[in-house]
Amino acid sequence: MTAPPPGAVSTIRGRWQRPALTWTTRVVLVVAAASIVIPDPLRTGLAIAVVAAVVAVPLLRVAWLVFRWHQEHDRRFVAIGATLLTVIAVGGLLSALGVGR
Amino acid sequence: MEYLGYGAMALVAAAMGTLGGLGGAILLVPALVVTGMEPSAAAPLGLVTVAAASIAAGPHQLAERSVNHRLGVTAELVASTGAVVGAVLSGLVAEQLLTYVLAAVAAIAALAGGRRKGLRNPPDPASSPADVGERVGTLAGAYPLGDGVVPYRADRLGLGLSLMGVAGVIAGTAGVSGGFIKTAAASEIMRVPTRVAAATTTFTVGITSSAALVVFALQGRIDAPPAAVVVVGSLVGGLVGARLQSALAPSIVRRILSVLLVAVAVILVVRT
Repeated sequence: MTAPPPGAVSTIRGRWQRPALTWTTRVVLVVAAASIVIPDPLRTGLAIAVVAAVVAVPLLRVAWLVFRWHQEHDRRFVAIGATLLTVIAVGGLLSALGVGR
Repeated sequence: MEYLGYGAMALVAAAMGTLGGLGGAILLVPALVVTGMEPSAAAPLGLVTVAAASIAAGPHQLAERSVNHRLGVTAELVASTGAVVGAVLSGLVAEQLLTYVLAAVAAIAALAGGRRKGLRNPPDPASSPADVGERVGTLAGAYPLGDGVVPYRADRLGLGLSLMGVAGVIAGTAGVSGGFIKTAAASEIMRVPTRVAAATTTFTVGITSSAALVVFALQGRIDAPPAAVVVVGSLVGGLVGARLQSALAPSIVRRILSVLLVAVAVILVVRT
């Protein structure tokens, strides 16, 4: 892919993000609704899957953006996005180690 | 079926939170506490609402290209660093002092947004639909408004990003996403159009909430069955809020945001 010049309109138009988020919303909505009416133990399993999806999707979105900015040769924002994911990982690690509890 | 009331509250909080770019936890958590839930149990549900609404609002906001991802990720880097610092220092900060500071910030932001008249970022006749989108390597962009295209650029980055860091510290210590500060900082300090500020904040508070929920999950503080009910309400609320945001004029969104911020300030003081 040819690198657009700085200040050019980004080629990122949500061509992949939009359908991915639309289908995630639909699937999570159906599974979450099912977890309301289905009895345990399946109910808890479905609910855990729903929460895991809700937690993972925003972070995967950032990872996708870092990949797309890399394709656009936008090194500054690749570094910012990668640093953000690192900070979140460090926060999780500190929590796992019991820091701040 | 015993958690359906939580789902209804989450729907309203997510719709209002997405419309104003507030996140929604700041509205849902006090409501859950009023119903008798412990604050420590309500905080994860508030963050689940924010993350779910962010996912649901995403497709609509991407379609109208009102989210500036570069601005969002830059702001989020500062905010997440603040959140980690806030989480580590949470035991050292007096909660009452923090709450009053939050309420004051919300009230000042409401005043700043409410006082502003007219359209600060009018459509540019020289811009065409081909100009809509983010600008590579910068914190600038353009978004469609009616039949026109509105170019913008984030100004006063130092002060704006400092406030994003404050929002992060608040998120780490108080268990809310800090969206009400982020949208106000982007709109009133960095002079980004209100709709872009609100849509970008809806994207970023999803990241803040995910990061915080990872911590809560590792601490075993998420009760999955009520969280799933909250997700149902929040996804529907996020869809409704995103559509309302694009259907309403920027001046109306700004006024609604001001009213919500006043409500947030009152809720914060009353909670204390």
